[in-house]
Amino acid sequence: MKGLLKNNLYATLSNAKVFSGFMILFGLFVVPVVSQSLQIGYVMTGIIGFSVNAIAITKNEFLSKWGKYKLTLPVKRTDIVKSLFLNQMIWLLVGTLFVGIEIGLSWLFHGCPFDFAIDVLTMFALGISMSLFMGAVFFPAFFVGGEERSEVLLILSLLCAFGTDFAIIGVVNILLEPGIATIICGALILLICSLLTFALSYLLTAKIFKKKEY
Amino acid sequence: MENILELQRVSKTFPKSNFTLENVTFSLPYGAILGFVGENGAGKTTTIGCILNTITKDSGTIKLFGKEMLDADTELREKIGVVYDGDNFPAYWTATQLSKIMAGLYTQWDSPLFQKYLEDFHLPAKQKIKHYSRGMAMKLAVAVALAHHPQLLILDEATSGLDPIMRDEMLDIFLEFVQEENHSILLSSHITSDLEKVADYITFIHNGRLIMTVSKNDLVYNYAVMRCKESQFRALESKDIIAYRKRDFQIDVLVANGKEAQRKYKGVVIDHVSVDEIMLLLVKGERV
Repeated sequence: MKGLLKNNLYATLSNAKVFSGFMILFGLFVVPVVSQSLQIGYVMTGIIGFSVNAIAITKNEFLSKWGKYKLTLPVKRTDIVKSLFLNQMIWLLVGTLFVGIEIGLSWLFHGCPFDFAIDVLTMFALGISMSLFMGAVFFPAFFVGGEERSEVLLILSLLCAFGTDFAIIGVVNILLEPGIATIICGALILLICSLLTFALSYLLTAKIFKKKEY
Repeated sequence: MENILELQRVSKTFPKSNFTLENVTFSLPYGAILGFVGENGAGKTTTIGCILNTITKDSGTIKLFGKEMLDADTELREKIGVVYDGDNFPAYWTATQLSKIMAGLYTQWDSPLFQKYLEDFHLPAKQKIKHYSRGMAMKLAVAVALAHHPQLLILDEATSGLDPIMRDEMLDIFLEFVQEENHSILLSSHITSDLEKVADYITFIHNGRLIMTVSKNDLVYNYAVMRCKESQFRALESKDIIAYRKRDFQIDVLVANGKEAQRKYKGVVIDHVSVDEIMLLLVKGERV
């Protein structure tokens, strides 16, 4: 497993470096400018962007013979799948920390740009859950659809994640009265649903990958 | 003799391509090199896929080190080194990164040995693999396959893309590898001269069917081609003919025992046979 995680880390690192550069430049603009929408955009771009980087390596892995070669290594197929899911979790964490620092700096200099400080929780919960839903849809779809369709599957996964998140928010807003409790509850529901879907997706992907032939 | 690898009636059908690997049976003893020969699409890579579980066989048994290898049998895969033709590793890695990754995968990964191979093969450790030539990439794959002290090497067209000098060096490395009596190599190759140099046994496969397995000694000392005229061909007993091919003015007949054929059929020209010629006769020729 250690080797698989290292493999994924090296694979993601190169793109992540470029993306980090972009996020730093973007951050230099976001920190001095007091804007709610800019901060929302920054958080979503950061969290989802790093996750997209992590997911995008899957194509390269299986375009070369490395995907097939990995099956000959002393690792189980489920470990290969597990390493992909863990890699996404790692980069999701990296993205969250990255934007967390920038948002923290902005608050330090200008204070909270939102109506309620708790709104930031929803913002982060939305970014994290969207990333998790995206991974949950992408990985099984990738192993069913094949590496040559990875770009379109990635876009569809992102759209599915976007749709699912806003459907959940819509249902929460209909069922619960507006207020801080609803904001907290909504954020928790987003996180729990996405984590559960991500976990179920791992089981499904492992099952699909067990039958894949290379 | 004990076998490191045994295949018994292994079959696999790909309905989309209509290709079937049919009842493939052969074994590889400890301390031996088995050359696996066949034309493109004959089923060599499919067979190797079944052995390594990258492809699920439909039926038959495959035993590695006396045991059927399941996905969970990671300890068996520790003992196997694999080289595929082409890009075995992602192009954005360096050999140094590759070593670090492999160290996290193989319990017996030997970094100093890997470094030694990199030096011996003149491979720059810090250069990305995408800047390697095809030959360099193949050498890197061989270095990786050897650096975790495997007992069995499975090489799918591992010498293709190498120049003759490098190929010769590789073959020497393979021969050195099988000096250890518990080491073996399954070497699939189109370059039949390589197999003639190093293989102890040669297995021929055609259209998904195993045609025959022959020891190299048998091939060198016994197998032969009879160059027959039409009348001489008609006089041959069918049990003596493995395969024959009609040419413009003669009929080439593959026989299992050239000396016996010489005694039995006077006046027929009999030549030693190369692996290439056997393959042509078996693939393009006709059977009785």
